[in-house]
Amino acid sequence: MGEVITITSGKGGVGKSTTTANIAVGLAESGKRVVAVDFDIGLRNLDMILGLERRIVYDIVDVMEGNCKLSQALIHDKKSESLYFLPASQTKDKNILDKEKVKNLIEQLKSDFDYILLDSPAGIEGGFEHSIFLADIALVVTTPEISSVRDADRVIGIIDAKSEKAQNGEEVAKHIIINRVKQELINKGQMLSQDDVLDVLALDLIGIVPEDEKVISATNSGEPVYFDKDSISGEAFRRISKRILGEDVEFMDLNKVGKIGFFKRLFG
Amino acid sequence: MSLLDKIFGAKPKSANIAKDRLKIVLAHERVGASYPFMDELKREILEVVKKYISVKDINIKKERNASIDMLEVEVMLDEKTPQK
Repeated sequence: MGEVITITSGKGGVGKSTTTANIAVGLAESGKRVVAVDFDIGLRNLDMILGLERRIVYDIVDVMEGNCKLSQALIHDKKSESLYFLPASQTKDKNILDKEKVKNLIEQLKSDFDYILLDSPAGIEGGFEHSIFLADIALVVTTPEISSVRDADRVIGIIDAKSEKAQNGEEVAKHIIINRVKQELINKGQMLSQDDVLDVLALDLIGIVPEDEKVISATNSGEPVYFDKDSISGEAFRRISKRILGEDVEFMDLNKVGKIGFFKRLFG
Repeated sequence: MSLLDKIFGAKPKSANIAKDRLKIVLAHERVGASYPFMDELKREILEVVKKYISVKDINIKKERNASIDMLEVEVMLDEKTPQK
């Protein structure tokens, strides 16, 4: 049976879809069968980040409404052999999701895949609740900013209250990903450090991703930054993927990363 | 803030301000999120304490630590009444 990993944040624009895409690629590149599901009904974006937007015929709502078979809606990734993508519906109302239908779909995916990654929508209503309800693991993405950390805390509370596991007296494993970290600002005391964020949220860290301009060009071209061997954020995502697979990987020292970047700019 | 910072009037680091502000606001928000009955609890505690001593307000905070969850009940006494 596959494991359901929900990527969530509360606040929008902190990098949920980018994180989902890169971890999905990372897990698939290590041979696991992975499906990335876009749960952001009406505002789909994961398709663009994965570069699969032109292959969409059917979407998640079509599957749930019985308009097509699951296999017809799943899109095979162009680079990673064992990665599939299930797009969100762009035109239908986001309130169309129904708990039972979502559950059936996820159960079906669990029997076909090792990892089911759910890219949750921003906010804490409908789509978000569906995406956390069946989670085994929640990856809470936050940036080192007040509004994002506050929303992350709220989301953590809701996962503890509303997930199926929580309702059965179990606990969803929750981990923090701190995204878009600017080490220079932290060193100057102008940005919350990783310790600050973890101290406030009181959860384990599973990844620190430095701010990286290469994410923008990766998104522009629809090829996740994971594949860019020289990029620091790609390296961060490669490490997160390994940690999810159970490997004990060191966290990146962003002070060193920054310096290498500087010399590369000078001499590279 | 170090002594040097104080002498030269350096501004406090904004990251520290951010962390302090977050901790305060979350302490309040966590209570409401996890215990919907909190208002009622607060009102009842207030009634009981008021039987014995004059109280201005009661504040209940939830602290989450890696290992323990804690409810902190803060009773603010009314300064006007003489305390025995």
